[in-house]
Amino acid sequence: MPLSSKRILMGNEAIALAAMQAGVQIASGYPGTPSSEVMETIASHAKKYGIYAEWATNEKVALETAVGAAYSGARAIVTMKQVGLNVASDPLMSLSYIGVKGSLVILVSDDPGPHSSQTEQDTRAFGHFANIPVLDPSTPQEAYDMTLLAFRLSHEMETPVILRTTTRVSHGCADVITGDIAQVARDIEGFVRDKRWTIFPKLTSQRHPLLEELQVRLSDRFSGYFRDNSFNSISRGNSSIGIAVSGVSYLYAKEATRDYPGTFSLFKVGTVYPFPEKAALEFLEGITDLIVIEELDPYLEEQFLQLAGRHHLNVRVHGKKDGCFPVSGEYDVDVVIDGINRALEGSDEDVPALSHSSPAINPADVPHLPVRAPTLCAGCMHRTVFYAFKKAAGRLRSKQGVDSVFSGDIGCYTLGNAQPLNMVDTCLCMGAGISIAAGLSHTQEYTSGKRAKQVAFIGDSTFFHSGIAAVVSAVYNNADITIAVLDNRTTAMTGHQPHPGIGMTAVGSPAKIIDIADVLRSCGVGMVRTAEADSLDECVAAATESMQFEGPSAIVFRGRCVAISKGAGQYVIDKDKCTRCRLCISQLGCPAIFSVSSGLPVIQDTCSGCDLCAQVCPSGAIALKEVSQ
Amino acid sequence: MKFDILIAGVGGQGVVLASRLLATAAMDAGFHVATAETIGMAQREGSVTSHVRIGNEVCGSLIPQGTADLIIGLEPAEAARNLRYMRKGGSLIVNEHAIVPSTQGPVKYEPDRLIGFLRDNCQDKCQSMISADFTRLAKDAGTYKAANVAMIAAAAGAGLLPFSEEYLWGVLEKLIPEKHRDVNRRVFDRAIESIPKDEDIRTKKPSMEGCETNV
Repeated sequence: MPLSSKRILMGNEAIALAAMQAGVQIASGYPGTPSSEVMETIASHAKKYGIYAEWATNEKVALETAVGAAYSGARAIVTMKQVGLNVASDPLMSLSYIGVKGSLVILVSDDPGPHSSQTEQDTRAFGHFANIPVLDPSTPQEAYDMTLLAFRLSHEMETPVILRTTTRVSHGCADVITGDIAQVARDIEGFVRDKRWTIFPKLTSQRHPLLEELQVRLSDRFSGYFRDNSFNSISRGNSSIGIAVSGVSYLYAKEATRDYPGTFSLFKVGTVYPFPEKAALEFLEGITDLIVIEELDPYLEEQFLQLAGRHHLNVRVHGKKDGCFPVSGEYDVDVVIDGINRALEGSDEDVPALSHSSPAINPADVPHLPVRAPTLCAGCMHRTVFYAFKKAAGRLRSKQGVDSVFSGDIGCYTLGNAQPLNMVDTCLCMGAGISIAAGLSHTQEYTSGKRAKQVAFIGDSTFFHSGIAAVVSAVYNNADITIAVLDNRTTAMTGHQPHPGIGMTAVGSPAKIIDIADVLRSCGVGMVRTAEADSLDECVAAATESMQFEGPSAIVFRGRCVAISKGAGQYVIDKDKCTRCRLCISQLGCPAIFSVSSGLPVIQDTCSGCDLCAQVCPSGAIALKEVSQ
Repeated sequence: MKFDILIAGVGGQGVVLASRLLATAAMDAGFHVATAETIGMAQREGSVTSHVRIGNEVCGSLIPQGTADLIIGLEPAEAARNLRYMRKGGSLIVNEHAIVPSTQGPVKYEPDRLIGFLRDNCQDKCQSMISADFTRLAKDAGTYKAANVAMIAAAAGAGLLPFSEEYLWGVLEKLIPEKHRDVNRRVFDRAIESIPKDEDIRTKKPSMEGCETNV
């Protein structure tokens, strides 16, 4: 590889390559969109460069593993998404007191919008909460360069450093100039026993003042970066209006104000926490109106408001708090133009409003379009299992008066909420399906007259992530629940990462398989069985049996993910046999089947041959297409 | 120089791959590129878009409304959904092969009417508009899955991209696994051949033949 080369990289790939250039020795993570490709990229190069890379069972375990490595002086990285940081927050909050040796970079990807997350939370706020420095890149190139800085900073200051990205940086691709990657050095000092590694109240009381003092030192250091670092910059305009930005909003602001060169002063901050107060104070000189442009939390805005208050500055701060900018959702150039215009209305300066480009076609002229919600893939095994439970629960309801709530979980199977399956009544966070079902079951004796059997759906990777602890608790407290593990042998939603049930590590080496049914049995679940997801009858029988069992029961439904396995062929509708009952459409919601105006269902090329529609068809009108020779 | 391309389609159609191919070819041709792609949950049969921005300077990856130079719609409704991005005098290339959601909301999807709308409204307001069943073209050449490749090849063949088709094929050769290369080359060539060379492409009458929604 040349010393310096330019190539097209996704932000996540750029971070991975920079970590490798920085000499990362240990990498651990848990997949989560939009962060997964960082670990995937490191894992794919790990054997070649001599890096240890692993997928951990969850983010807390991933962080603690990286912490152990850093305690012995290693250069370590841990990766997760913003919701994963919640899982890792227990060790994180203590770690900031203890600090690290070696270096430890925590890559956390935020998801404004959100595109594929339960929350829109802001990791900058988490850094503030935990007293851990946060770097916030605006482009894949900056993500690359800031990763190098993060490793240096962590080593010098003996603190973990958070590299926080957002979707458009994590998943955006751009041309990035990268440096040379060498074989990983075998230079770890090793763990040295010291009182500083064992957190006791006495140590905490000693360390806390030092931790606070570190924040002041870092703030000063980051203010210094405005002179010698491209991540932070101040440019002066000829009006008294300033714009403060971090992350990808920098680019939106630049583009929004493109037709007004030299008008606005710009404060770009890449080292967002601790807030570089001295530089910010300098920037505010001569500014009467400050427009703060940032996605997610009003983090910078609050920092500027505090600063202005403390120094009695006569500056109006426009942002989310005065209603100029949306408090939620993803930003883009158009959102930023509107926000700046609202802020300009409140300023004394005579700057004309920014204008939008008008499209060739007036959006109002476009006819109404079909809603296209995400749904389970054509041929997904989860559809068979959801449908089986729907049938089993329907029978139990009508024959025995047993009612059920279906608690979902985070993964592809969350899409079981889509019509017409409609089989996800609750979804909170990873692993919570089982605990919520348990909670619902304990309300049974307070619910007058109704009988219920609560059902929890969970995926294979999620089972290992945080399902096991919930199973133990449910069994221990004798919750009357049925646990349905949807085992498609991969972590499908985030891009097919391996997990402990598969028998393969992150770098493709063989590993011991942890059998999910065995785990359930050893946790004391009263009835555990497995069922093959390609047989609807078998799934209905298993669902019925497990729901009739008193006490905790579980079924592991085993199948394959159609996105990575070859389909069995394509099914076709026999026009003559089809009675137009539309059961295949109205019951299953398979994206490969739709009906034309005559009422005849049509199976599209995307059919992967799961056979479910043929099993459901009452008139035998659906059959495997014969391949013409 | 700036050139913004918006690719719209349904999860599973290869929108992300198409944007990766275009962006890589643009970079090979010496431009800065920035892309924004839809990855994750929304990809499962949902509406997906990729923004590809090509130019001389680094900018944000999301295209502002009314500024896209080219919209590549892998599905008619998804092309229409994103028309607000097209600048005056921009170009539209649309795949007439409709994907009808199996569970529809209150609005019934009638693809032939929508394609009619696109033809009636866009042909005058676009620099050029190409409308054809690219899924059928790709299927006839070996695999319906390569409609994305057919569409970007057609865009290159029609001279709608700021770089030549050689850059595009160079990238395809590198990025597509060897076992799929021949079929993609066939799709690529046929798509380019399908673009009439000597006449104004606006006059090309789209063919409704093979549009499965009209069965």
